[in-house]
Amino acid sequence: MRYSIYPGCTMEGPALFFLKATEAVAEALGMHLDEIPDWNCCGASEVSGVVGEFTQQVMTARNLAIAEAKGQDVLVACSSCYMNMGLTNKHFKDDPHFAQMANEALAAGGLKYNGTLKVRQIVDILVNDIGLDKIKARVKKPLTGLKVAGYVGCQTVRALPWEYDDPERPVLLDQLIEALGATAVPFPMKARCCGSSHAIAQTEIVLEHSKEILESAASNGASMLVTNCPMCQMNLDAFRGMINQVHKTNLTLPILFFTQLMAIAFDLPPAVAGLKHCVVSPYEVLAPLGVGK
Amino acid sequence: MAKKTGVFICSGCGIGESLDVDALVKVAAKECKAPVCKTNPFFCGAEGVELIKQDIAAGELDCILVVGCSNRVNYNAFDFGPSVTVERVNIREQVAWSHEPNDEDTQAMAEDIIRMFMAKAKTVEAPVPYIVEDLSKTIMVVGGGMAGMTAAIESAKANYQVVLVEKEASLGGWLNKLYKLAPLKTPFTSLEDTNLEARINEINSNPNIKVYTSANIEKTAGGPGLFDVTIKQNGSEISERVGAIVLATGAVPYDPEKLGHLGFGTSPNVITQSMFEEIAKKGTIARPSDGKEVKKIAFIQCAGSRDAERLPYCSAACCVESMKQALYLKEQDSEAQAYVFYKDIRSSGQYEHFYKAAQTAGVIFVKGDVTGVSAGNGGTLVIEADDILMGEKTMADELDLIVLANGMVPTTAFTEGAYVGCGVQVPEPEAGAEAAAAADAPVPAAPIIKSNILNLVYRQGPELPDLKYGFPDSHYICFPYETRRTGIYAAGSVRRPMDMVQAIEDATGAALKAIQCVEMTAQGAAVHPRAGDTSLPDFQLNRCTQCKRCTDECPFGAINEDEKGNPLINPTRCRRCSTCMGACPERIISFKNYSVPMIGNMLKAFEVPEEDEEKPRILIFACENDAIPAIDMAGINRLQYNPWVRIIPVRCLGSLSLVWINDAMSRGVDGVLLLGCKHGDDYQCHFMKGSELAEIRLSKVSETLDRLGLESERVQAKTISIMDYEEIPKMLAEFMEKIEDLGPNPMKGF
Amino acid sequence: MVDNKISSAPVKYDNSFAKEIYALENGHYAQICMQCGMCAVSCATHDIMDYSPRRLFNLVRVGKKEEVMRSNTMWMCTACCMCKVRCPRGIPLVDVMHDLKAMAIKQGYVDYPHAAFHQAFWQEAFSRGRVFEGGIMARFILKRGLGEIKKLLALGMKDMGMGMLKHGRVPLVPPRKIKGLKELQQIIQRAQALQEKEAK
Ligand code: SF4
Ligand code: SF4
Ligand code: SF4
Ligand code: SF4
Repeated sequence: MRYSIYPGCTMEGPALFFLKATEAVAEALGMHLDEIPDWNCCGASEVSGVVGEFTQQVMTARNLAIAEAKGQDVLVACSSCYMNMGLTNKHFKDDPHFAQMANEALAAGGLKYNGTLKVRQIVDILVNDIGLDKIKARVKKPLTGLKVAGYVGCQTVRALPWEYDDPERPVLLDQLIEALGATAVPFPMKARCCGSSHAIAQTEIVLEHSKEILESAASNGASMLVTNCPMCQMNLDAFRGMINQVHKTNLTLPILFFTQLMAIAFDLPPAVAGLKHCVVSPYEVLAPLGVGK
Repeated sequence: MAKKTGVFICSGCGIGESLDVDALVKVAAKECKAPVCKTNPFFCGAEGVELIKQDIAAGELDCILVVGCSNRVNYNAFDFGPSVTVERVNIREQVAWSHEPNDEDTQAMAEDIIRMFMAKAKTVEAPVPYIVEDLSKTIMVVGGGMAGMTAAIESAKANYQVVLVEKEASLGGWLNKLYKLAPLKTPFTSLEDTNLEARINEINSNPNIKVYTSANIEKTAGGPGLFDVTIKQNGSEISERVGAIVLATGAVPYDPEKLGHLGFGTSPNVITQSMFEEIAKKGTIARPSDGKEVKKIAFIQCAGSRDAERLPYCSAACCVESMKQALYLKEQDSEAQAYVFYKDIRSSGQYEHFYKAAQTAGVIFVKGDVTGVSAGNGGTLVIEADDILMGEKTMADELDLIVLANGMVPTTAFTEGAYVGCGVQVPEPEAGAEAAAAADAPVPAAPIIKSNILNLVYRQGPELPDLKYGFPDSHYICFPYETRRTGIYAAGSVRRPMDMVQAIEDATGAALKAIQCVEMTAQGAAVHPRAGDTSLPDFQLNRCTQCKRCTDECPFGAINEDEKGNPLINPTRCRRCSTCMGACPERIISFKNYSVPMIGNMLKAFEVPEEDEEKPRILIFACENDAIPAIDMAGINRLQYNPWVRIIPVRCLGSLSLVWINDAMSRGVDGVLLLGCKHGDDYQCHFMKGSELAEIRLSKVSETLDRLGLESERVQAKTISIMDYEEIPKMLAEFMEKIEDLGPNPMKGF
Repeated sequence: MVDNKISSAPVKYDNSFAKEIYALENGHYAQICMQCGMCAVSCATHDIMDYSPRRLFNLVRVGKKEEVMRSNTMWMCTACCMCKVRCPRGIPLVDVMHDLKAMAIKQGYVDYPHAAFHQAFWQEAFSRGRVFEGGIMARFILKRGLGEIKKLLALGMKDMGMGMLKHGRVPLVPPRKIKGLKELQQIIQRAQALQEKEAK
């Protein structure tokens, strides 16, 4: 199965190891990923707040226009990227006036997008295209006994509600976790916002929200939290020192990308799992499974 | 009298696993001497049914006891024609499914039920349907507005003859006064023409519809299938025989003179919604005071409605009407400003889209309580209000026009054409009624609306009983359209406040009800809720004391009086509730398949344990409308309840005869429980007053019981609805506890 | 934070500001808000907002321009989309918030650090085609001045940066600009021109 992949800026920066793990897991499952050549930033949650939605979506559309040549579904992992790519694509399909205007703008760069692609979230592809059975079959090291909180965050499931999961109580990530042999703990904060891009401009929000999320996961018995969003991972992981300092807590829950967890269960080489990039050390939690540095 | 009773005991559906069926056969065949008694593991199947049929043919059985499932299921399977009475003896839901299997108490319960029904079968007879001669299936529609015209067209389309009576010179009713309509169809966003001419043409060109305009109804006599209506038109009287009536006389605007607090009367520029329609219809929307074109308008919602001192109810259509009228102004001048001051916007159904459309057109909605309306500069007006969403005071000034959304009052809430307020006028007690009151008539009769519309020749009064606020509906949840006069169905805003879309739907529903009524009446059968029942009350008049209890208590006004003062039933009005049977102190009213002695025999047939057995016996009279279904539901859900109860289904608690309680008590039954529907406000009783009457009657026995040294708490009435079936086990357990506290009935063994 | 108190004189609904808002790309949605409050109870950051989205929309309706433009509401929005999913009127509140931010920036209501952050992000994206954390930070600090750094340091931002560095998550050199940067910029400029034309 071939897909075009749109990594997005964070996945070639602070979340590069997410991309690496994702690529390795995809390969292990027989998927072939073609990176969209010379892709550009999707605009995240910021650009439309400066130059408006239309300009932001046109920017995003450049990626779709380039990807259209291959005609493959576009796999997106990052939540903001998925939201922008997904909404732009939908706009092209639903609104002929928009499509025409956007193509007028794209023409300035010699491009055109016909709205023929599908934009897919990676969790959607893994569960609905690859299938849980195939994933189960690929597991070499079942994660028995590992209690995991599946944290979906906000935008992936809400950008296009019901596209592939419940926007408020998503279930697919938990299914993936269970397919690896781990236990998905009940986790009411599963789809709550972590504070997202406020990390710099209003750090307190992120610290507060992240603390609540971590506490909820821990109090439900999770020994680890996995996510599919680079922003969430960063806020919950890299900001941990600040969270603990400001809120006088001692939260030690490690935060992994779910493809890292898959890499472990598939028994791929440690470098692929990229555990060393996690700021909060996961080694203690993973020791019983025989995973070391 | 039933001579030959066949008993067919089914062992399917888990009955056989829970009960000793052979022992049941013994009870039926040996003890009760049923000439035919068979068992089968699947009686409702084709083979089982065939078996019963063969026995009917061979043995000339005239009464069949199907011992198995509830009568709420498989009724078609066990229908063997009008000459064979079928009694369904429920040992499935009420025994096997709700009690411990293979337990002696469970077995005893099943055996007793068979005994009870065998006792009933002794006197039960197949009813003979009352077939009317000169029956008319014509539907008369009263009122030629949107609802009336719709009901007429729908009935005519279903191939029924229609007589349409309108008091004005032309059809259309309220539509005549309107500039445009709020949308009636998807996408529910734009104004529609009233299309009145086309609507009237459709009526006039339909050969099934006969129209009387400028016509009044002088009198309506008779009953379903044979209403004799005298119509007065242009001074002459016309007689029509019709089968059922749709009352669609609509509503009128609430009297604005009572809205002084909202500025009515202070300026000619404070007007009502209907006055605004008139202005809009003329062409330019201008101020009545000086003809200046309106640039700024405000609507005040709930003017009079939802106001404890005026109309306590929501008038349902005024929110949408104000949106519509605001759009009239926007249509004239898109820059004109329109404000709507509201309590809540109630744009129900699809009108949410219309609300959105009004917002998009720029109408500004302010949620607030208007505190004052006053004059401003240059003939303008000012509204002050508490803005609830802003949490502070707000005002709108330089208003050219203020429109009060003044709500609606049903045409039935009038006396001699004059508005009398929202409450209903209780009629002056007539001479006869007073006499009844003197003879300690137990229940106040439902107030009869005085409105000069149908002029019924009914002993109970000339119009319909009111439900609330002058609306003549009977039960707005379970049986919309039905009034408390059989065969007369209310539709549109006379039934409850509603908008045009709802009125159209309502009229269609009421037309269907009217059609059902004439068809059932033609078969001699009852309408809802005992649809299909062909039994009728028989009066043993030689013992009648003319106390008039039956006449007063019949919820449907079915009983008149003959010249001699004896009760005279109008059979087609009868709903077979048997309230009259319970009301009659002489016990002279009975049905072929339901009577005081019949139930009396049932309650004498079950076994009452001796005191030393320490098994209190409780008798339950359960109403067939909701209580029995609730008990069945408990069984279906496998809820377990006390096995020492014996249940007798009754048509309605209104049929309760105090003699039953006497008999039960003297047999040593330890407690009696009446299970009926909720009464009072928002009653659920399917016959309006049955459960209430039962409680009133009960209050009379308590004294007697106390006098006999029996604790009156032994007899209790409780209400239950089908949804509360989960409560059944608890309810019975609590009653059982109470009875155990009281100890055994001292009459035991006497 | 702005003074949330609205003056004590009775408010008068004046729709001139509302018209300005309704003319924004997604601004017209604010007009069909039915004030149910679902957004307010769903919002991730409601408790630190000056006004809930519902109230903000009502202020628009009343015509309280200064209160709206100076409020932190749109800046506090994390674009978590919960309100958008739940709004019974189907209002894409997130997009309305974006419009309000863009309008605030355009009209100089830029007191909140978020405004600077948004602009920094935009400049980074426009000038490189992709964004690089270091670049955004540099632009952000440049706009806000050193005070912002002090605030971040007080919260422990330095340790966090070091942590990231230690775990190999901060590329020190920015990634290369995209190859098609010139075309991207042409596309963006054309889009903005079209957008402006459309607004008229
Ligand atoms: S429909 Fe609207 S205006 Fe009329 S009474 Fe009801 S809430 Fe009030
Ligand atoms: S059975 Fe009911 S409806 Fe019929 S006459 Fe008796 S009380 Fe009236
Ligand atoms: S949820 Fe939607 S309709 Fe309700 S107040 Fe918020 S924006 Fe308005
Ligand atoms: S998208 Fe913004 S306004 Fe809406 S709930 Fe999330 S944070 Fe609040």
